[in-house]
Amino acid sequence: MDQLDILKEKWNSQDTEYPHYTTDTIKGLLAKKSTSIVKWLLIIAIIEFAVMTGINFIYSMVGSPDEFTQHMMDSNFVKISWVIHVIAIIYFIFLFYKNYKNISATQPTRSLMKNIIKTRKTMKWYIWYNIIGGFISGIMTTIYMLNNHPLINELMASGKMDGHETMFYVIAFLALTVMYIIFLGFIYLVYMLIYGILLKRLKGNYEELKRMEV
Amino acid sequence: MSQQLEAEFVKQLEENQNIVHKICRLYTNDKDAHNDLFQEVTIQLWKAYPKFRGDAKFSTWMYRVALNTAITLYRKSTRRVKTTAYESVQFKVTDMQEDDESAEQLTLLYGAVKQLNDIEKALVFLYLEDKNYKEISATLGISEVNARVKMNRVKTKLTNIINP
Repeated sequence: MDQLDILKEKWNSQDTEYPHYTTDTIKGLLAKKSTSIVKWLLIIAIIEFAVMTGINFIYSMVGSPDEFTQHMMDSNFVKISWVIHVIAIIYFIFLFYKNYKNISATQPTRSLMKNIIKTRKTMKWYIWYNIIGGFISGIMTTIYMLNNHPLINELMASGKMDGHETMFYVIAFLALTVMYIIFLGFIYLVYMLIYGILLKRLKGNYEELKRMEV
Repeated sequence: MSQQLEAEFVKQLEENQNIVHKICRLYTNDKDAHNDLFQEVTIQLWKAYPKFRGDAKFSTWMYRVALNTAITLYRKSTRRVKTTAYESVQFKVTDMQEDDESAEQLTLLYGAVKQLNDIEKALVFLYLEDKNYKEISATLGISEVNARVKMNRVKTKLTNIINP
């Protein structure tokens, strides 16, 4: 009989050590709100969808649509990318919902953790999709704007930039690109931080379970 | 109907609540966190209850949901982590007041198990609760052989903590 078996006897002889909740107390607990990480994942996911759609919406609605913006919005490129974007969002929401439905506290611990991590991965892909998509459309808009915007056309025609045209385009393009990268990088960092804090313990435990299987 | 279900659930939980209390005590360090985790376990059990068909014993089913909540779903609040050291001492002192050798040893055991990580705690807990390896492996989702191997390692670790 090893030490743990002796302890086991002790363990099983404990009775009155614990607080006792009456049925009324338990009934009261049922009305309380859950604070589980799954709920937080859901809340963050909803915020993600809302923020990302919001950014896109503001992006397309900001300011009065002058003739130039209107013209750009009517281009096939914008129309097609909008359709792709809507399809992508619906697909992501579907994936997220499917993953979310698979999470159940009655599963074996390892599957439960796996499903939670899967849900988080879907959201990570969603963030990446938005970052890459945002970057591409940002670059496209910049190129289009530099070539077609009336203010720039005016500046070029005024003769002030004579001899420095290439320099002007390169600097303007680089400045805007850096701006996009900083903005999108910031969004990425915020999400990594939120998920990092939320799932640090879970990841550690999942790794531990995985190590056991080797 | 749903009221009947609720009454049935509450009664079963009331009868088996010590399982949850033991888990809460292993995974938390003070009374606030203990009650907090108990609450979360209750909510998760209730949420999963409609899926509980009675093909297993209620208590067996409870182990899984309660452990999953403690290990995976429950989020410790940072505020509590900061006050842990102080409050855990208080908690232990109250237990010792029974001035009973056996209670003291139990506190010692809890202290040792608490130094293990979340997964090891679960293994030891299920072992102490007299679960066989088949049940342990099914609860955690690992193979029976690996559960055995890990359990032996944890036993050694635990013995080393208790008898340094």
